[in-house]
Amino acid sequence: MKSKHSMPKPAAPDAPITFASLAEMPPLPVSLGSTLNNKTGTWRYIRPLYEDKTPPCNHACPAGNDVVRYIGALRDGDVEAAWRILVAENPLPGVCGRVCPHPCEHECNRGEFGGAIVIHAIERFLADEAAAHGWAVERSQARHPEHVAIVGSGPAGLSCAYHLARLGYQPTVYEAQAQPGGLLRYGIPGYRLPKDVLDREIAAIERLGVRFALNQRLGDNLGWPALAAADAVFLATGQGLSRPLRIPGEGLAGVISGLELLRRVACGQRVEPGAQAIVIGGGNTAIDAARTAARLGATVTLVYRRTQAEMPAIPAEVAEARAEGISFRFLAAPIEVLDDAGRVHGVRFQQMRLGEPDASGRARPEPVPGEEFTLPADTLIVAAGQEIDGSPLCGSGIGIERGRILAGDAAQTGVPRVFAGGDAATGEGTVAQAIGSGKRAALAIDRFLRTGSFEGLPPAAAGAVHAVERRATSVVVRAASLNADYIAPAPAPQMAGWVPMQIKGDFAEVNPGLSPAAAASEAARCISCGTCIACDTCLIFCPDVAIARAEGGRYTIAYDYCKGCGICATECPRAAMRMEEEGQ
Amino acid sequence: MKKVIMGNHAVSYGVRLARAEVISAYPITPQTQIVEMLSEFCSDGSLNARFIKVESEHSAMAAVVGASSVGARAFTATSSQGLLLMHEMLHWAAGARLPIVLANVNRAVGPGWNVWTDQSDSLAQRDTGWLQLYCESNQEALDTVIQAFKIAETVHLPVMIVLDAFILSHTEEPVDVPAQEEVDAFLPRYETEWRLDPEDPRAFNMLVAPEHYMEMRLQMQQAMGEAKGVVEAVDAEFGARFGRCYGLVEPYRIEGADTVLLTAGATTSTARVVVDALRSEGQNVGLLKQRLFRPYPVAEIRQFLGGVQKVGVIDRNISYGHEGIFAAELKAALYDLPTRPKVYDLVVGLGGRDVTPATIRGIANYVLAHDAPEPEPVWWEVKP
Repeated sequence: MKSKHSMPKPAAPDAPITFASLAEMPPLPVSLGSTLNNKTGTWRYIRPLYEDKTPPCNHACPAGNDVVRYIGALRDGDVEAAWRILVAENPLPGVCGRVCPHPCEHECNRGEFGGAIVIHAIERFLADEAAAHGWAVERSQARHPEHVAIVGSGPAGLSCAYHLARLGYQPTVYEAQAQPGGLLRYGIPGYRLPKDVLDREIAAIERLGVRFALNQRLGDNLGWPALAAADAVFLATGQGLSRPLRIPGEGLAGVISGLELLRRVACGQRVEPGAQAIVIGGGNTAIDAARTAARLGATVTLVYRRTQAEMPAIPAEVAEARAEGISFRFLAAPIEVLDDAGRVHGVRFQQMRLGEPDASGRARPEPVPGEEFTLPADTLIVAAGQEIDGSPLCGSGIGIERGRILAGDAAQTGVPRVFAGGDAATGEGTVAQAIGSGKRAALAIDRFLRTGSFEGLPPAAAGAVHAVERRATSVVVRAASLNADYIAPAPAPQMAGWVPMQIKGDFAEVNPGLSPAAAASEAARCISCGTCIACDTCLIFCPDVAIARAEGGRYTIAYDYCKGCGICATECPRAAMRMEEEGQ
Repeated sequence: MKKVIMGNHAVSYGVRLARAEVISAYPITPQTQIVEMLSEFCSDGSLNARFIKVESEHSAMAAVVGASSVGARAFTATSSQGLLLMHEMLHWAAGARLPIVLANVNRAVGPGWNVWTDQSDSLAQRDTGWLQLYCESNQEALDTVIQAFKIAETVHLPVMIVLDAFILSHTEEPVDVPAQEEVDAFLPRYETEWRLDPEDPRAFNMLVAPEHYMEMRLQMQQAMGEAKGVVEAVDAEFGARFGRCYGLVEPYRIEGADTVLLTAGATTSTARVVVDALRSEGQNVGLLKQRLFRPYPVAEIRQFLGGVQKVGVIDRNISYGHEGIFAAELKAALYDLPTRPKVYDLVVGLGGRDVTPATIRGIANYVLAHDAPEPEPVWWEVKP
């Protein structure tokens, strides 16, 4: 039906409105002039702004991953773009997707609305998709002449090398072992991190022009003079020494450090733990060693001097170890390794109890006088902490304090042009922390080599550094800031569980990944906290029609008409807007 | 194509054939099936419309007011308390001259809580500026929805179509569902300059001072006056295309009748049976079905009832403290005639009490037997 009425002709804004007859009048109340004459923006005393804030996942990621953006690209259906956003920050997504304890998920606001996003599984999915499709990271167009030497090819060294390569350098990575990877290769068992995943990610770094010099041990066949020729040196030598128990019998045959056990198995060497193995320690190395010993055929008991609540190991892996039949004995500290003709045949323990908290905030274990017990053992695996081997640094002028190389916010040591990171400088940490540390060093080295200073590098207290600049402010969006009206509760996916059928001899990967459909639906659950995704909610709600779509999924606000009512910012489902007082 | 469908679904098919573009509603028995089926049509793509879920009928009407304001063909449906909750927005829709169509399934008003039929809900909206059309059958409900959009878009007033709870809403009858192309030819797309348009932004429905307010109300009254002719013309055109028309009122066996029953809605079909029986018995009793209630068809009422001796009005409603509303309106319409029939007001079937052929026959006998009406309405078949 075509309406018979037409709009009245516009009148001058200030013309008085009088109608002499019904025929002149419109049949409904409508202004004769355009409402554009009425600049309602003059009413405003607060104005809305689009302002991306930091999502908790990004804030929690020690590697500095841009989680919210790569999940956003995945949600938009562009898997390759998602992977590219991911690898712009993290050269080892296949590794992290498998071994990272994902602090991002602990912080994820989705946790309040059905269950955290399984970010680690998405990360792994993207890495595996990239490998399947042969996607490759591109090198920077820049070519810088300076030479950077990196000592250690663990996650910190690899990360530093990768980011330097992407910035246009051709660093050399020196590695003491026969193959690169450091702790990733020699410390993390294959059932958690298959070697082919590690190999392909290292190969990708090598393709960027990074040179690997293998079997080069600092202080042995790699000396300071060779490194001194470099324009910058990054020390990422890790914590390669197992902390001794300092109890009688520690030198007996059958006593082995967790690190050494894992290294031998990784190298394919024959290790026979016997029927009974005892593991001392509560960290990830202890758990890895225990699960590895079980795969080698031993019945394993893990003994820890505090309780499960204080274990530094990743809780999920403790649970998996339990599912694999590892026994746990808490509140016991070894006091003597029992000798049978030069070989361990048992361990005597002191019963402990929890006392006052210590410097780490955990309850300090203290002996229960007179209560001791003995457990039989064919093998004793010691995994009670690690420390750096400081001997190669003697005389270098590099400071070591409480088992760590002293390094500043720019990873700089006391010696000019020498930087340090990873476990060697930050203490025992996660792979993601090492990746973040290596990246920080790379950005610092680049800044130093290009400008002679570290100016502009964010302080370590501000969190992980980013290779790609972000538009988000440092304000972290928590669940209370989100508009829950727009967030339908949706449960986290049930990750296909792995059931330990036969542990002995089974080094196959234990955790399954996500299917493409599951990854897509998981991406759709992401709230994109603090990040504008051009959902149009602001535009739909603006009572002044003052919001318009702009290029690149952005919006413009016509401040001539925005009254500052704040509905847009209030309605924004993901706290990506803010109201600011005029004149601020 | 013939389908055996309930009245609610006849409305849904009518709305789909009319190609409504926005539907907003809040569920309420006995209307819910109308919008339930429409939501399925939206979901399966057979109707290209936006279905807006809301938290109340007030919001439902506000949503279709918004939709209609940008030029969309908009529909909603409700019942009873839901219609009452819309009351403010009903005035708004009419005052803003928006061609919205609403299907109201006549349901009694609580408390006492009651989901069955009577006319209290729709008649309470008598003065909101909406046209009201009462339907006798499921077929008429479907046809009236299609007609209603054409009427509304011609006169720029909203139209309420009314059907009886359960007797029509939930009862299946054979209904001819016309072909889409035929309906498209009858009811073209709605186009209007009167719409909110960000490209030519105007202020709508703002303050109107006493200087002009009264003229605006007069315009609405004039539009209602115009509407009578439009309802007639649209019905005639519909009849020419589809072979069915209904009129503003429909006289049934009224020739030579001394006594005429006045009905609206589904009671009419019951009354037809009774009138047939009375005629066969030699009684001069006829029937007038009142389909159009607003605007009130004064001329047609006078034409068919001015010359008879008695009119028995079957009022399925009561205006407390006065009488049944159809009777009161009828009396006012006849008042200026030099000679006029006696009007008997029978308040019948409130809250869904059955109005059977025996009930109507009893009413007819009552009217025939009494020379003059009581001063008060007669509450039919109530406990002593």
